[in-house]
This record gives sequence, C-alpha cells and structure tokens, in this order.
Amino acid sequence: MSYGRIEHHPVLGPLPRAAALSFSFDGIEYTAREGDSVASALLAGGVRTLRLHEEHGSPRGIYCNIGHCMECRVTIDGISSVRACLTLVKDRMSILSGTVLPTPFRQETKTEGSPDL
Amino acid sequence: MKDASIIVCRCEEVTLEQIHEAIRQHACSARETKLRTRAGMGICGGRTCRPLLDRLTMPSEGDSLTDFPLKVQPPVRPVSFAEWGQSS
Repeated sequence: MSYGRIEHHPVLGPLPRAAALSFSFDGIEYTAREGDSVASALLAGGVRTLRLHEEHGSPRGIYCNIGHCMECRVTIDGISSVRACLTLVKDRMSILSGTVLPTPFRQETKTEGSPDL
Repeated sequence: MKDASIIVCRCEEVTLEQIHEAIRQHACSARETKLRTRAGMGICGGRTCRPLLDRLTMPSEGDSLTDFPLKVQPPVRPVSFAEWGQSS
C-alpha cells in the first residue's frame, strides 16, 4: 500500500500550494500541509493505527472521519480523547497514540477475552 | 460470518456472541444487557450500538414492549472531568 497525497487529481487538478507544517506522532516527526486534519496528515505519512483498544489492544484508526465514532481519538499536546479527524494540524504539535490500559480487577471469565477476528 | 467475529459495540469491543450469550443466559432487557456486557457504555455514547441492543432484546412480535428502550445518555459529546469542572 503506498501512501502520500494525490498530487494531480484527474478532476480537481494539481494540489494547490500550502504551507508545510511539522508535527510529531509518538516521537516521530511528520510533515503536513496547512489545513490538513491530524488523521489525514498521518495517513499521508503512512500511519493508519492511531491507537490500540484500551482493553483488548486491537489496532484502531480512522473510521467515520466525520467526528462521529471517536475511533480516531489521540492525545494532542497533553489533552486526551481529541478526535484526530476533526483537529487541524498546527506546527510543532505533539501527538501521542492511545495505548492499552491496565485492567487490574478484571477476572478472565469464560465469555471474556479478545474476540478472534 | 460467525457471531464471535461480529462486533456490535465498537468502543467496548463487545461481540454479537457475547450479547447473545448474555441474553440467552439471563433473558435480560436492553438495559441489563448493557450493564452485563458494557455494550453501549463506550465513549461514543452508544450511538452505534444502542439501537442494535434495543433490537436484539426486543421481545418477539406481538408482545408489548414491557421494558424501556435505552435512552441517549448525556453528555452528547465526551467531556473530560477537567473541562466539566471548569465550566460550572
């Protein structure tokens, strides 16, 4: 799967010029264009997994891309549960992906456990 | 597709099989299914699976709907306690 942007769209024509921004996701630097949403900038940078499910750890990323499903929530500059698909990239933004959270009190009951997809 | 691989509640990752299991074992209403399986308690506020839960626990045709369907829980959008505290 190659990522990146559609530089020459057959209908919309060439990509208009936009200022380049840089931001970090989990410590790795990425570049983005002015007006990119965090989700699209990461997708263009080849990142599809924005977080892991808090309990089962299954990889999650963009789903509805219109701010409805909360699947793309990340931590941006210390603020958690921010929807990447609705948030525009700002220069030097630091984004952290969602990780599995400890479940110290959960006993493994027979119907529990991660579904085998 | 087998029930175990069909996810009904995306936020809490509750599968159709887990819900069927809860309903079969405890013959529970939508609200009880939600409490037992956590389906509908996720950060999206049950937007996706609330209607599904109501449908799954609906009595067979003809019976009157004895218990209440699940209601949409406020807040409409997730609010952190920090933000909540500041607004009052």
